[in-house]
Amino acid sequence: MMNDNIATDGDIILDIKNVTKQFPGVTALSDVSIRIQRGKIHGICGENGAGKSTLMKILSGVYPWGDYEGTIIYEGEELRLENRSIRQAIEEGIAIVYQELTLVPSMTVGENVFLGKEPVEGAGINWDKLYADTQQLLTAYNLDIQPQAAIKHLGVGKMQMTEIAKALAENARVLILDEPTSALTEAETEKLMEILRTLKEHGVTCIYITHKIEEFFGIADSITVLRDGKVITTQPTENLNREKLVNYMVGREMTERFPKGKREPGEVILQVENLHAVDPEKSGREVVKGVTFDLHKGEILGIAGLMGSGRTELVMTIFGEYGRITKGAVTLAGQEIEVKSSHDAMLEGISLVPEDRKTHGLVLMQSVLKNISLPNLDQFASWLRIDDLAELDASLEFAQSLDIKAPSLHVPCDSLSGGNQQKVVISKWLMSKPKVLIMDDPTRGIDVGAKYEIYKLMNDLAEQGIAIIMISSELEEVLGMSDRVMVMHEGRSAGMLNIADATQEKIMALATGIANNHSGSAA
Amino acid sequence: MNKDSNASVKGVASNLAEQLRANIQTYAIVVAMIAIWVFFSAMTEGRYVKPQNFSNLFRQMTVTSFLAIGMVPVIVTGNIDLSVGKLAGFVSVVVAYFQARIWTQVLPDQGLLTTVISVLIGLTTGTLIGMLQGYVIAYLRVPSFIVTLGGMWILNGAILLVTEGKTIPANQPALSVIAQGYLPNYVGWIIATIVVVLLFYNMFGSRRKKHQYGFELAPFYLDLLKTVIFAGLVAGYVYVVNLYNGIQIPVLLLAIAVVAMSYISNNTRFGRYAYAIGGNREAARLSGVNIRNNIFWVFTLMGFLCGVGGVALASYVGYGTIAAGAGYELDAIGSCILGGTSTLGGEGTIFGAIIGSLIMTSLTTGLQILNIQAAWQYLVKGIVLVLAVFADVYFKKRR
Repeated sequence: MMNDNIATDGDIILDIKNVTKQFPGVTALSDVSIRIQRGKIHGICGENGAGKSTLMKILSGVYPWGDYEGTIIYEGEELRLENRSIRQAIEEGIAIVYQELTLVPSMTVGENVFLGKEPVEGAGINWDKLYADTQQLLTAYNLDIQPQAAIKHLGVGKMQMTEIAKALAENARVLILDEPTSALTEAETEKLMEILRTLKEHGVTCIYITHKIEEFFGIADSITVLRDGKVITTQPTENLNREKLVNYMVGREMTERFPKGKREPGEVILQVENLHAVDPEKSGREVVKGVTFDLHKGEILGIAGLMGSGRTELVMTIFGEYGRITKGAVTLAGQEIEVKSSHDAMLEGISLVPEDRKTHGLVLMQSVLKNISLPNLDQFASWLRIDDLAELDASLEFAQSLDIKAPSLHVPCDSLSGGNQQKVVISKWLMSKPKVLIMDDPTRGIDVGAKYEIYKLMNDLAEQGIAIIMISSELEEVLGMSDRVMVMHEGRSAGMLNIADATQEKIMALATGIANNHSGSAA
Repeated sequence: MNKDSNASVKGVASNLAEQLRANIQTYAIVVAMIAIWVFFSAMTEGRYVKPQNFSNLFRQMTVTSFLAIGMVPVIVTGNIDLSVGKLAGFVSVVVAYFQARIWTQVLPDQGLLTTVISVLIGLTTGTLIGMLQGYVIAYLRVPSFIVTLGGMWILNGAILLVTEGKTIPANQPALSVIAQGYLPNYVGWIIATIVVVLLFYNMFGSRRKKHQYGFELAPFYLDLLKTVIFAGLVAGYVYVVNLYNGIQIPVLLLAIAVVAMSYISNNTRFGRYAYAIGGNREAARLSGVNIRNNIFWVFTLMGFLCGVGGVALASYVGYGTIAAGAGYELDAIGSCILGGTSTLGGEGTIFGAIIGSLIMTSLTTGLQILNIQAAWQYLVKGIVLVLAVFADVYFKKRR
């Protein structure tokens, strides 16, 4: 750890001391100490999963006092937020502007800003006062929106301004912005920076979280880098530059976390050519903007990229369950295929382990057995009958070979640990005997031991000749497991790297759009 | 892979305690039902469980029970059907209309043949209307609450059109037999014998097959005990109803429907998919389940069972009226919920719904025997429903 000697004497509004937060099997934050100066903009950066969001959830009361170790001193006193009392955090003057906006779309800007604290006159709401107060607030902070405008007619940028106004209406002294620019255009981002400067002039303290590090320069006074739940460094922005930050974010050490496979990729099995796809709900929005790559038998192809770079959209489109393909082709084993649904994909031999096992992978209330067999019932069933013993037999075989630890196959999935749940998801997709297995962030939220087992399993599968596409948010995982790495940025392939040439710095540069390499696919 | 853990998974693959725990809710309501019977028997000095009343109790529950067992998959997939009462009512007036107005003109003196045709028309009507609603819900994506609320009003209008506001007689002997007939005692005993033989055959067959796959078997005495208890219940039931008039034909039809629906919900892909859709629609979709197709067939099946319920209704009351089926949809939904079906989807059993329906009917008849006025019957029904669900929520939280 680097010694930070700034901010020891300044006016500290928020002093986070030795905070540790553990989840079953995972340490999300480990001995984190950060001091935030009053009236400054403090940047926090780190890779996905570095612990940024956990920290913010502690500050906002989602994880209450007593749920973590360590102390937080706010305005000279210990901050003790009660269970799930986000309200209390707001009353204390700490407000969060979330990644996902939390406005009521059918209401106006003014109604949202004063939601829950409407000025009352007699038995009714004093609408004139509400809108006048809103206007006053908006003018004071130079926020360019109409109090009477309906939220649903506003763009994301203006919605965010409304969120900020809402926090200011609560007299927020500390404003936390969690990835505020992830959905903004360049012009909107520029506007947001202006607003933040105005807030600073008014003495509001901002904590600015992002993984788009270039945004820090010119706005943040100091920056803290988190990695694997630890504070790597806190330094004044003028001491830092992009390269230094990237180095801090990715770290250098690569330990023996990844088992080495001894596989030899074979012939090409899947080819994706110039694939374009649009959002099925809004056909104007292109989510995959021309991606070309090929995939070999027995190979693990890593796809890296930041959140929102179109990784998940790309693989879901190949799996037939998301984007509508407007251009391009997918070829499997030399034949062009048309996949209209997950069912088609499975018939062709493409399986997908979805990104979020709880919302997309499992029916949590159902048994392990029923989850494993769900996509594979065709194997045991005529139209009239499921052969339940054949089903049990086959499911048991997978449960054993993947070493799922469960008291029996009849227990509901929500009683298992994250790692075992993930094995159930993988089992269910292996039973269909895929040629191509797509794994979207297969080790998210599971502990290190379970990760290792999943890695070993992936190596085994590749050695058996299955072609694997692995999306991952962890660079070390991408580098440790892949044969080649495709980096995505804004719906496009920013570059394809052979593992020998790939470094965390190169991937990060491609993923953040600092560098670009459209040389196409290397084989 | 680890041999020990293999053994542990395999060993408990058919763990009985596990299954008992999973079905605790079902046992709880069976106990509640028995408690209700004991209570009313005590209050009526035993009149409540006399063969005649016992026989009538089961007969009275049949019409709403047909609707309740169709409602289970509907609610399990996260939908609702408010039109079932009126659909059954519509089917009943259509059957009555054909019986009283058409056949007497076209095919007089062909009682049996015309009744068969009327029944087929009734079943087809229910099925087609179910299909239509299912199509709008599944493929045109209009929420089921709205489609079936509209359907309820439309069918109410259709009932008024068919009946022209009058009561149509449907008391022809061949039709009446469906919901009012009884089987001779010896036929009752033959059926009981067949069922008991099947129970034992099933038990031995399942043990043999499990053995072939190498699964550890539950202790023989446990399987035997379970089968003997079921066999005893069947024989006991036949014995009691034979003391009155014999097996009630509508109850026999209901029993067949219950077995068929239980089978469909547990042992077919269609049933499994329905539970998966209700449990997690996204996970089901990504698992290759054709959600629209499944929901379409769920409503088609519901329509068919409304057809069955409507035919039984016409036969049971002996005429088609403008009020036919009114309120039955809520009885059916209430029975499902009382029987443990979750309004959030994904959970619920056919057996539970039947017990729920039996509890509802038991309460109503019990209060009637005690000569308590109708107002109180509604009050008690409402309180029991809310209490039952509260108890479920409470104990789930505590577990």
